Amino acid sequence: MRRRSLLAALCAATLAASGCSGDGDAPAGADQGSTLRYAAVGAPAATTNDPHGRVANEADYLRFAMLYDVLTVLDERGGAVPRLAESWEPEGEDLTHWHVALREDAAFSDGTPVTADDVLFSLRRIQGKGAENNGRLSMFDLEASAASGEHGLDLVTHQPYAEVGAALASLTFVVPEGSDDITEPVPGSGPYVLDRADDTTAVLSRNADWWGPAGGADRLEVTAMPDPAARAAAVASGQADVAGSVAPATAEQYAGDGGVEVVTRPGGVNYPLVMDLETEPFDDPAVREAVKLALDREALVDTVFLGYGEPGADLVAPSEPFAPRAEPVARDLERARALLEEAGHGDGVSLTLHATNSYPGMEEAAVLVSEQLSEAGIEVTVEVGPPDTYWTEVWNVEPFYLNSLGGNGFVDFSRMALLADGPINETGWNDGEWDADFHRALATADEGERHALLADLQQRLADDGGYVVWGLGDGIDLTASGVTGLPTGPGFHRLRIEEAEVSG
Amino acid sequence: MTVPTGAAPAGAAPRHRAWAPLYGALTAAVRALLLLVAVSAVVFAATALLPGDAAEIRASPGATTEEVRALRAELGQEAGPLRLYADWAGGVLRGDPGVSLVNGRPVLDAVAQRLPATATLVGAALALAAPAMLLLGWWAGTARRGRGAATALLTGAAAVPTAVTAAGLAALLSGVLGLVPAVSLLPPGQAPVHSPELLVLPVLSMALPTALFGGGLLAGAVADTASRPHVADARRRGRSPWAVAAVDVLPFLLAPFLRVLAVSAGGLIAAATVVETLFGYPGLGSLLVSSIASRDTPVIQAVAVSAAAVVLAGTALADAVAGGTDPRGRAW
Repeated sequence: MRRRSLLAALCAATLAASGCSGDGDAPAGADQGSTLRYAAVGAPAATTNDPHGRVANEADYLRFAMLYDVLTVLDERGGAVPRLAESWEPEGEDLTHWHVALREDAAFSDGTPVTADDVLFSLRRIQGKGAENNGRLSMFDLEASAASGEHGLDLVTHQPYAEVGAALASLTFVVPEGSDDITEPVPGSGPYVLDRADDTTAVLSRNADWWGPAGGADRLEVTAMPDPAARAAAVASGQADVAGSVAPATAEQYAGDGGVEVVTRPGGVNYPLVMDLETEPFDDPAVREAVKLALDREALVDTVFLGYGEPGADLVAPSEPFAPRAEPVARDLERARALLEEAGHGDGVSLTLHATNSYPGMEEAAVLVSEQLSEAGIEVTVEVGPPDTYWTEVWNVEPFYLNSLGGNGFVDFSRMALLADGPINETGWNDGEWDADFHRALATADEGERHALLADLQQRLADDGGYVVWGLGDGIDLTASGVTGLPTGPGFHRLRIEEAEVSG
Repeated sequence: MTVPTGAAPAGAAPRHRAWAPLYGALTAAVRALLLLVAVSAVVFAATALLPGDAAEIRASPGATTEEVRALRAELGQEAGPLRLYADWAGGVLRGDPGVSLVNGRPVLDAVAQRLPATATLVGAALALAAPAMLLLGWWAGTARRGRGAATALLTGAAAVPTAVTAAGLAALLSGVLGLVPAVSLLPPGQAPVHSPELLVLPVLSMALPTALFGGGLLAGAVADTASRPHVADARRRGRSPWAVAAVDVLPFLLAPFLRVLAVSAGGLIAAATVVETLFGYPGLGSLLVSSIASRDTPVIQAVAVSAAAVVLAGTALADAVAGGTDPRGRAW
C-alpha cells in the first residue's frame, strides 16, 4: 500500500510538473498551410452527419456548408445568388414551373460528377424529413419535378412561387444519389473535404478540385462547444481562432483585449414577444398595441444586448432586401394606459411571460419587459423554463412568451408561421386578406412590384400582429487577430466561412 | 472471536475455509450484478419520467402529432417503457447496446471515443487525491487539540459545489496567474496525456474536493487506530513515531482507505459531468449531460451503467483486498 501511494504521489508530481510547463506539442500537420480553428455552438453528443434531418448544432451546419454544395446562397444583403444552380427561370406565365440550370463542373470528393439526379434525390430527401427540419422545401411538388438532362432540373411548385431562388438557398445540401442512410459522412462537392472527425471536432482540408474561387484557409477545424464563455476563452487562450456566437457581456469583456477582435453580424439575434391572438387579452388589438407602446426599446437593447443591436419596429424580418423602412416604436406610456382603459382593463391586467435560459440575454429581456409593462398597468410574472422542453411545452402552447427567431427569410417564415393554415402559426394570425395578398405577391413576376407587396405585408403584420420585435441583437463572433473574411450578413450568410483566412 | 490461524481444528473447517473466499467472491459478484441491473432500471425509469422523449425533441417545432409518431416509429421507440427496457436489456445481453436516437451512431462507438478522456481525468484526479486524503486524514485524525474542528473543516470544504471549486481554480490559475488555459479543448486526434496543461484545471477541480472528502472520512479511522492499545504499547516500547505510523497504524487503514477510494471514484465520475461541461472537455460526463437533454436513452443507459460498474468493481476490489489483508485476521 505504501508503495502504491508513493507511486501515486510520484505520478501526481510528474503530472503537475509537466502540466505547468505549458507549451504542449504542435499538432502534426499544422505546418502544411494555414489552419482556421472555429469553436462553434454545439453539444457534441447531438452531433449528426445527416445534413437533411434534425440539425441541432451550428457546428454541424458549418461543416455541412463546407462539405456539401448548395443550390444557391444568400449574399450580404440577403439576396439569393448562384452556387450549384447557375440560374433559375420560370417557364410559362404562372410561376409554378421553373427551370434550374446546374453547373457542369462540380464533382463529389470521390470523383463522380454532380448531376441533376443527385440534386433531385437530395431535394426529395430533404422534403421527406420535413418532420425534423420544419417542413423545408414543402412549397415544391417534387414528385412532379424531374431532371432535364445531366445538368438541368424542371421544378414544380404547388402554388405560384416567385422566390424560388431564396427557397433553394443555404440548406439544400447535395449528396450523391442513393445516400438513403447518412449515419456516416458521404462524399460532398463543397469547398472542403473531410479529413477526419469525431463528435467534437471535424478536420477539413481545402478541396483543390472545387469549382468555386480559390482562397480561404487550407484547413478548417470545427469544434462543437456548448458553453459560450468557454468558446470565448478558447480564442483568448489561443486554442481557437474564431468563437461563434458569444454573449454581449463576453464581447465587452474581451473588446479591450489586444489579441481578440469582435466581429458583429447585424440582426443575428431576435427574441420577439409572442402574443397569441386567440387568447384573452391579446385577442383585443388595443391590448396588443398597448404592449407594443409600453416597452422602452432603447433600454431593452442597452441592457440585453449591451448596445450590440438596434431597437425594433416589430418587423419579423427587418434585414430582408425588401423590408419596409420603419422607425422603432417609441415608448408612449400614456397612450398605452389609455388603450388598456378603452379595452376595459383600467384596473390592470395580469399575465405570465415565459422564457428559457439557454439563449444569452433572453431571461434578462423577460425580466426587463415585465418591469416596463408594469409601468403601464400590465402586471407580468416571469416564468423561466428549461431549454429541453421549451419547444414542446411553452412554444406554440402558452399565450405569452419569448421566441428566438433567426435564419429564415420573410417568405419562408410567412408560409410557416403566418398563413392561417401554416404549420407553426404560433400567434394565431388569421387574416384572409393578408393570406390572399401573400399569394398574390408570390405570383408577381416583377421583382419591384413583388417587393413592394411583401413590404406592405410585413408592415401590416407589424401594426396588428402578435409579434413584438422590440430589438435586434448583433450576432457576435470573437476572433484572434489575423482572421479575415468572416461572413457578416444576415441569417444563413453566417455559414459561408469558405473565404475566411487566418494569417500568422 | 478471532480464530488463531495456527490452531485450526481438523475436519470440515479447513475445507469450508478453502471454499469460503470463492463463495464470498461469488456472492459479491451476484450482488454487484443485481445492483447493476437495479441501477440500469432506475436510470431508465428516471429518463422515461422526464417530460418529452427523443422523437419529440428531435422533431422540429412545427411537426404534427402524426409526424412525431412516425419519427418515433422510425427510431423504434413506440412501445411502452417496460417493453423498451426489455428490448434494451436484451440487446445488452447480446452485446449490442443499440444506436443513438440523435444521430444513429452505435452507442459503443460514442462511449469508446470518449472513455479515454474521462478515464484520464478520473485516474489523474484519483492519483492526486489518494495520497492527499491520507495525509489530510492523518492530520485531522492525530490532531492533539481540536480534532473535531479539523474534521469539520475538511467536511465543510468538501461540501463546496464542484462548479464553485472549478470556477475558483480557473479564476486563480488561469485568470490571475495565467499558468494554464481556462478551457480544455483537446486537439483533434490526440490523447489527453499529450496536452497535460489542459488537464490541470479539470483534474484539480475534481481532486481537491475528493481529497478533502476522503480526508474527512479517514480522520475517524486514523483516530480509532491511533488510540488502539497496541499503538500505545509500541510507543511505550520506544518505537520511533515513523515506525509506529508505518508498522502499527497504516496497515489498519488499508481497508477503510480502499473503500473510501472506491466511493471517491464514483464521486469523481459525477463531478466529471460538471467539470467537463465547464471546461469544454470532451469526455463521458459531457456526453451524459447532452444525451439527457436530448433524451437519448441508449447513450444515457450506456454511460450511467458503465459508471456504476466502475464503482461496483472498485468496491468489490476494495472488499476483497480488505478481506485478504486485514491485520486483525478474518472474522468468520
